[in-house]
Amino acid sequence: MRIVTAEDDFLLREGVALLLRAESLDVVATTENAEAFLAAVDEHEPDVAIVDVRMPPTHTDEGIKAAVEARRRHPGLAVLVLSAYVEQSFANELLASGAERLGYLLKERVGRVEQFLDALYRVAEGGTAIDPDVVTQLLTRSRPGSGLERLTARERDVLALMAEGLGNAAIAERLVVTEGAVHKHIRNIFAKLDLAPTDRADRRVAAVLRYLDETGQRV
Amino acid sequence: MTVSERRAAAPARGRRGPLVRRARAVFDAVEHLAGGVGTGVLALAALAWLLLVGLLCLTGVGLLLTRTVPRVVRIVAERERGRLSRWGPDELFGAGRPADGLRPALADPVVRRELRWLAVHATFGWIVGLIGLTFALHAVQDMTYPAWWRILPPDEATPTLVPWTVQSERDAVGVAIFGAGLAVLFVAVGPALARLQAWPGRRLLAPPADMDLSLRIAQLSATRAAALDAHATELRRIERSLHDGAQNRLVAVTVLLGATRRALARDPAKAEGMLEQAQDAAEQALAELRTVVRSILPPVLEGRGLAGALSGLAADCAVPCDVDVDVPGRCAVSVEATAYFVTAEALTNIAKHSRARRASVTARRDADVLTLRIEDDGVGGADGRGGTGLSGIRSRIAALDGRLAVTSPPGGPTIIEVELPCGL
Repeated sequence: MRIVTAEDDFLLREGVALLLRAESLDVVATTENAEAFLAAVDEHEPDVAIVDVRMPPTHTDEGIKAAVEARRRHPGLAVLVLSAYVEQSFANELLASGAERLGYLLKERVGRVEQFLDALYRVAEGGTAIDPDVVTQLLTRSRPGSGLERLTARERDVLALMAEGLGNAAIAERLVVTEGAVHKHIRNIFAKLDLAPTDRADRRVAAVLRYLDETGQRV
Repeated sequence: MTVSERRAAAPARGRRGPLVRRARAVFDAVEHLAGGVGTGVLALAALAWLLLVGLLCLTGVGLLLTRTVPRVVRIVAERERGRLSRWGPDELFGAGRPADGLRPALADPVVRRELRWLAVHATFGWIVGLIGLTFALHAVQDMTYPAWWRILPPDEATPTLVPWTVQSERDAVGVAIFGAGLAVLFVAVGPALARLQAWPGRRLLAPPADMDLSLRIAQLSATRAAALDAHATELRRIERSLHDGAQNRLVAVTVLLGATRRALARDPAKAEGMLEQAQDAAEQALAELRTVVRSILPPVLEGRGLAGALSGLAADCAVPCDVDVDVPGRCAVSVEATAYFVTAEALTNIAKHSRARRASVTARRDADVLTLRIEDDGVGGADGRGGTGLSGIRSRIAALDGRLAVTSPPGGPTIIEVELPCGL
């Protein structure tokens, strides 16, 4: 897997590259700002780009803009956005062009290497990885009276993992249940929330996130 | 607060010596006289309106228009206040909208003073301006006379203010000498004329002495805004330094620890180097946290008081620095912190730019005012307005309703004086 990274902090840039290379991943370029990042993506045409959100010059949302632009220029490119804090509005901006090949995670998740690699491969293979914090933000903001109240505790767990972008097998493994059980839960969730059922993880993520976002905004 | 700053900034401006300063004063005088003529003409128009409305009152129609008079006068007065404030050094705060209706408006001392000003400025004001400008204009015209008098028709070669008709080169040179005389006269009295013209406005458009409270309110609103500004800027700075510093370091620690755990399973020899890096990153995070904490509120202030904290700063300064602190009791935390940061910034500047051999820091408490004086024997020329360091200090001081004065003539010495009310 060929990777380009963008991160303005020297130590972190080198740290992430070190970790990826130790996993025998091919880091073809490391860049420190949005402009250099886009140029490197154009030049190397990597499989995955890993982008920090706050970069010079304004240290606000350069990484989000760069990620959106890179996805626009290279439709097959998988992008994993890392951020010191996650903001659901940033997630929406990223998801506007589809949840496919997209990841949005807190930076420190990189330290949990297995899970990080899992997210990285998932994104590279066309899936989605949304940080549990984003999902939590959405779940806590949902108003009383939404369909969520009809879900059982276990179904809510499944919904959260689904929103993070996990597939049925991965959800089953996390919750230590059989895949068949997960499948049943998901069917129930979709019925209770009135969503069109789909098995494709990225479509599912988009549908669930949109649903959560809408219930959050309804007063 | 702004008053003393402006006064202090003026000498720093004339860095190139008295000649440049004088020339600047002359050009300023022309500008101010012309501006004064402008508001003078407006005042004349307002006065004419007042008289017209007065006349119309005799027929009854004017009674409907009386309420417009205070408003028209206020508009002109506000223009003059704005002009005089831009000129400085004293700021004349705007008076807002006058009360509705003639009777309540006339009961307001501010309106009555504006009417007196209007009478003076609409007559005396613009005439003084015109006289001054006439001098300046003729000085220029006459001094250049020898260059162009020949293109005039012969019977028109009689410059105004000059008693003779020009028929020869010698006469023309005479005109030029006369013009030079006018120029000297203008250089001598022009700035004084401009001040004379502005004087009624400065006296009558400032709030009356017993109205000091409203001025105070305006000032307090301004300083409160400055306080909120300084606060927001400070929070942003802290957020930025925590985010870009300590937080990133800690993320690096977790990333490196994660990598180390993987390496331990595979190639333990590599793990040692990674742990070393992780430890480095953690130590950097601690160092950065310490810097941020110290920049929020120096712990030394808490422990050793202002005297101890300032001595510590002086001891760290590259330029030998005497400290003389006589501040009985403690001041408010925010006051002590501001005194500390002002001193830190000033000493940094001295070490970096002044080329001074000695510096001194004096702090005194007189009743409810903490006075801080930082002096050096360096090259001077510090611009009190430029530079980012001093501007942060300035808003901190303004937020506490204090005063800052920087005097730094070319050649030195530089003196920074700060007054902070400490009975908060």
